[in-house]
Amino acid sequence: MTKLLEVNNLHTRFKVRNGYLHAVNGVSFSLDKGEMLGVVGESGCGKSVSMMSLIRLLPPAAQITEGEVRIDGEDITHASVSRVNSIRGSKVGMIFQDPMTSLNPFMKIGDQLVEGIVYHKKITKAEALKQAAKYLKMVGISNAEHRLTEYPHQLSGGMRQRVMIAMALLNEPSLVIADEPTTALDVTIQAQIVELVKDLREKLNMSIIWITHDLSLLAGMVDRIMVMYGGYVVEEAVLDDIYNSPLHPYTIGLLKSIPSLKTEAGSRLPSIPGAPPNLFTVPTGCPFAPRCEHKIDRCQTEVPALAAVPGSSGDRPHRVACWVDMRGRGVEQ
Amino acid sequence: MTDQAIPLQQEEKQFSLAKDAFIRLIANRLAIVGMVLVAFLFFVAIFGPYLTPYDFLSQDLMARNQAPSWQHWFGTDDLGRDIMSRVIYGSRTAVIVGFSTVSFSLVIGLFMGALGGYFGGKVDAFVVWLIDITMSIPSLLLVIVINVSLKPPLVNWMDAQFLATGNEFYRNTIWVDFVLVFGSLALIKWPKAARIIRGQILSIRNKNYVLAAEALGVPTSKIVRRYVIPNAIGPIIVYISAALGEAMVLESSFSFLGVGVRPPIPSWGNMISDGLRIWQLYPHVLAAPAAVLAIVTIAFSFLGDGLNDALNPRQWK
Ligand SMILES: Nc1ncnc2c1ncn2[C@@H]1O[C@H](COP(=O)(O)OP(=O)(O)OP(=O)(O)O)[C@@H](O)[C@H]1O
Ligand code: SF4
Ligand SMILES: [Mg+2]
Repeated sequence: MTKLLEVNNLHTRFKVRNGYLHAVNGVSFSLDKGEMLGVVGESGCGKSVSMMSLIRLLPPAAQITEGEVRIDGEDITHASVSRVNSIRGSKVGMIFQDPMTSLNPFMKIGDQLVEGIVYHKKITKAEALKQAAKYLKMVGISNAEHRLTEYPHQLSGGMRQRVMIAMALLNEPSLVIADEPTTALDVTIQAQIVELVKDLREKLNMSIIWITHDLSLLAGMVDRIMVMYGGYVVEEAVLDDIYNSPLHPYTIGLLKSIPSLKTEAGSRLPSIPGAPPNLFTVPTGCPFAPRCEHKIDRCQTEVPALAAVPGSSGDRPHRVACWVDMRGRGVEQ
Repeated sequence: MTDQAIPLQQEEKQFSLAKDAFIRLIANRLAIVGMVLVAFLFFVAIFGPYLTPYDFLSQDLMARNQAPSWQHWFGTDDLGRDIMSRVIYGSRTAVIVGFSTVSFSLVIGLFMGALGGYFGGKVDAFVVWLIDITMSIPSLLLVIVINVSLKPPLVNWMDAQFLATGNEFYRNTIWVDFVLVFGSLALIKWPKAARIIRGQILSIRNKNYVLAAEALGVPTSKIVRRYVIPNAIGPIIVYISAALGEAMVLESSFSFLGVGVRPPIPSWGNMISDGLRIWQLYPHVLAAPAAVLAIVTIAFSFLGDGLNDALNPRQWK
């Protein structure tokens, strides 16, 4: 069976004032139909840029320099602009972080929702609006027909994010990329949106990539987790393996900084010392080395490859990019 | 809520925003007042001079400083000229100066703003620098400088041309006032338009909703038509309304100070300045042009506010 999504050695960089900013440095992963992948990492580690690169939704200064992306086996990196447009309109849906600014204030919700499908599916606007109302109901918006005639400012933040979700689902995509869809919302709404996505995923059987910097949010939601650092994938495994036997020092650090019920009130959460890497130069060793407690000499001179952990089996094993074998030295949770 | 409760629109509504905005505009009483007054002003400026019973220049020394009457609705001035005819002609002066100033500054501003916003980098830095420099020039100072430096040689040159060629065009040097006033105004009033355009282009290009539309595979041409232009056009329309009012007031101020449109061509400004000399004796000489100027200013500000509210759905309640 071909995978829904295959990404091989993807590199994306930005042209900046004097040189390049290397935002994505060789990302490889794959996604099955119906699978849900969580992508985590600190701010600036390249989560958004790598996932936007999948459908080439990048600003003019950005450039994919290497690697390839296949959706349903079709090469996206080398496809024509119009082909990419039609893939965006039919196979991939995006949900963004900030629902307050993701809707055009000058267009009615309905007009905005149907823009894509009217164009790509060649259906009439009335039909499209009916469809839109159906999806608005599905994402839990009451009074959907009326909402279609309203402008974005008439909706609350949580409702707008529901609208954005409906918008992403309307073209019945097989892949939905959600870029920190709950970060801008308050906690109760966050939980509602998470529940909604879980529910929709079951109903519609789509694959989802959920980007977040909050590892704890992914518990009970995703199948696999991919951890990114400095534009590299440093670890990838099924949810339980990441939580129970993390192998990369960075993943371990992230897990330690999650507050748990056992954390005593008032005690300080451990955080990873040091700052995220400077992306203007390509590192010659492990990108995490400057902040790593476990580093050895080799870490400074050779970039560790993302490789299967010995002993893990299957089509997609637990993968980690580290020169030191951290098995048995991880978190005790 | 059933499907029938609120029927879905059946027809394609391309201009739903324009239509909604118009409905909001005419629902706003003050905006209606402003709109009617402004429309009336334009009507008077265009057709008024053909409808007045008196010529704005014809003096009647037997009927000086007459109070308003059936013959002279607004009375006559100290040379016995009909004030209503002069106020009407003054509206033409104001509208000519207003329109020319605004269109010229809009053209320059659109060009500069689009240049900066689109190309960015060094070009943008230069545009911003030019905007800052220009905005720091006091308009009165510039008009005075142009009046004393450019105007005399230009008038002399036109006189010489008339003597040499006999061409009637060169005889009427009154146009020099108009050209100099709106020319200098346009030269310093463009930065506001440039700023609006530049800001709109910069911000809309990076807006999340543009990204969201791109993510839906909406083609670029449609994005420009439906997302960029509607977002940019509201502020421009509001700007035009405000700038028209401002330019007319500036024309009057300059004419009042004697550096704008000069007598005998009527301008509300120079009429007010004439009236000031004798208003204690004949208040009506001052009252008519001053009241008209005040009404026009207020009308434009009502209209501007109404447009601003109508074109900005974020403020709709
Ligand atoms: N338009 C751009 N021009 C230049 N650099 C950019 C641009 N967009 C992103 N970058 C850089 O690319 C790197 C990766 O950014 P990205 O947005 O993918 O991070 P992220 O992991 O999504 O972070 P966050 O959690 O803050 O969203 C960052 O260092 C960022 O500064
Ligand atoms: S490769 Fe070395 S520096 Fe990098 S994470 Fe592993 S131990 Fe740390
Ligand atoms: Mg991001």
